[in-house]
Amino acid sequence: MKPIFILCIEDEPEVLEAVVRDLAPFEARFPIESASSVAEAREVVQDILNRGRLGLVICDHILPGEDGVSFLVSLHRDPRTAGSRKVLLTAQAGLSDTVKAVNQADLNHYLAKPWRREELHAVVRQQLTEFVLQHETDLYPYLTLLDAARLGERIRQQPLPADE
Amino acid sequence: MNTRKAVGILLGLAGFCLPWLVTFPGLSFPGHVTLGVFLLAAAFWLTEPVPIYITSMLAIFLEVLLLSAEGPLCQFVRPPVAQPEVVAPTQTFRLPAGAVTSAGEVFVARPAGNFDKLKVEVVERRADVVEVRSPALSASTPVLSRSDHWLARYSPASYRTFFASLADPIIILFLGGCLLADASVKYRLDRALTRLFLRPVGTNPKLIVLGLLVATGVLSAFMSNTATTAMMMTVVLPLLAGLDADDPLKVAVVLAIPIGANIGGIATPIGTPPNAIALAALTKQGLSVPFVKWVLMALPIVLVTLVLSWLVLLKLFRPRTRELKTELGGTFDRSPKAWGLYVVFGLTALLWFTENQHGISSNIIAFLPVVALPMFGIVGKKEIHALPWDVFWLMAGGISLGTAIKTTGLAEWMVGRVEWSALGGFAIMAGLALLSFLLANFLSHTVTVTLLAPIAVSVGTVAGAATGFDLTTALIAVAVASSYGMTLPISTPPNAIAMGSGVIQTQHLVKAGGLIGIVGMALVLVMTRFFWPLFSR
Repeated sequence: MKPIFILCIEDEPEVLEAVVRDLAPFEARFPIESASSVAEAREVVQDILNRGRLGLVICDHILPGEDGVSFLVSLHRDPRTAGSRKVLLTAQAGLSDTVKAVNQADLNHYLAKPWRREELHAVVRQQLTEFVLQHETDLYPYLTLLDAARLGERIRQQPLPADE
Repeated sequence: MNTRKAVGILLGLAGFCLPWLVTFPGLSFPGHVTLGVFLLAAAFWLTEPVPIYITSMLAIFLEVLLLSAEGPLCQFVRPPVAQPEVVAPTQTFRLPAGAVTSAGEVFVARPAGNFDKLKVEVVERRADVVEVRSPALSASTPVLSRSDHWLARYSPASYRTFFASLADPIIILFLGGCLLADASVKYRLDRALTRLFLRPVGTNPKLIVLGLLVATGVLSAFMSNTATTAMMMTVVLPLLAGLDADDPLKVAVVLAIPIGANIGGIATPIGTPPNAIALAALTKQGLSVPFVKWVLMALPIVLVTLVLSWLVLLKLFRPRTRELKTELGGTFDRSPKAWGLYVVFGLTALLWFTENQHGISSNIIAFLPVVALPMFGIVGKKEIHALPWDVFWLMAGGISLGTAIKTTGLAEWMVGRVEWSALGGFAIMAGLALLSFLLANFLSHTVTVTLLAPIAVSVGTVAGAATGFDLTTALIAVAVASSYGMTLPISTPPNAIAMGSGVIQTQHLVKAGGLIGIVGMALVLVMTRFFWPLFSR
């Protein structure tokens, strides 16, 4: 089974460290990668796609060089990452950028800085649950970490494996 | 296509053709044909070049084609028939020499296609003709000109018999159980019951493991082991989120589910398909085992192994945490339809358990939920479509193969090779149960029992005289032993689901499942020796 990765893009090292630290509970099942610029992020995505799938991108908007929203738009246009869940974690995205992210990158969630840990957990849990529901058939491994009620509901509707 | 499948297909085809090429002394021609079908099915069931239920369908099809009266083989084979030549007016006729057996019998063709044996008086026997005298003969009586022709001794069953195996009463019993289970899942009765079971055990991890074993066991006694495991996993896996990554309690909790499900399935005739297969074989022999009798026979070993499993799991995977919160959402559904389900379920269970009092077969009672649940709109077309039809076909294949093996004389021939009476009844029963346990670790439990049930029945007909052999005990031992085959991830679907959770490793399962399975198997031998035969007295 190919692992499902989480990618965090943030240019300030302390902030990046805080995000990754807050996501630690998910790391047992979803390996976390990080990048500090869009250029680096593209390389990391390439690397992730060689080893597995990109499940969730948590991206800042203001970054050195290319901005976060246009990176999300480019991810959305690539069929390999079109289904990845996309979250904007930022304090400085204006209305037009946010609209662009929603309309052109199919943005799934907008999270304002500063964030609360529980809030981030809830968003990541919900987005990964969506991704797993859409892309996975074997849901048992995710019951511990993700939204068990929704996964359980899907499992009930799935045909059971083989005969006894 | 992988090597295993290719080997399976080759073995199956070779097995199918062998009896057509080699003649085994003492075995009739239809017996040869049946042996071919049996070898083909066994090879396909063992290696699975096609899913096992398809092999069952294939077996039924081959039986209809090759063994039934209406099938092409019996239709197209024109038995050589001669008409008696009148020698003298005093009822004396001349027949070809081969038409009369050494015992002075001839076979008279009947319009239906089979033959009646007729005793005649042999007047004179010459090299090529025999003169016989009989008032039942006339110049127009069709007489089989070769008395050693296979059709003489074979009265083929109607093709209905083979197709009807899908509607065998035991399959109806199973169908009733499945529909009740599906309805329970639909109205979340299974979840509500789990909650009920786990409430009294509080937050003590050790007691929670016991609670899970018992809850899973009870549910899987009435639902399929696989469905129970799938449901329980969605309940317990979220509970593990708060535990340390390496707390052994996680392993104990996740293992409790498939182990509880495998053991719980033993408890009732509808708990798992192997029980039903064994019952079907017994019913065919005229030995009825009512629902409640099965439960009484099986319950002691189920309870003992459930408690043993608890001790083994806690010993192997000692919980580190002192407290585990089990707050499960969901209560009993109080809608009118859910109440309808509770009433139908309660009534069916009550009638099943009181069979001795009212005398109506549990197979008939099983049709009550099949009718009542859709009638009151408690289940709909969706649930009827979602019934495990593959399992029903799998069972039907086994049942029809059992019929064929018995009616063609293959059964007696197979077991006639061994001097059974020298072995003693217990040794035979123990051997069958051990074989069942070994096979079940690698094969589908249903297939294991499907293969072994006709053999047990055959041995029973021959070794019946041997001291202490009891067919009911033998078949129950075979069925129960198969449920203890749970060492490997592939042994049963519940094991596979537990492995799929990613919480446990193969070695955990092999250690716990293997140990509990072997102890269970040892207990099966004890029950076979001392407990189960008591019910046949």
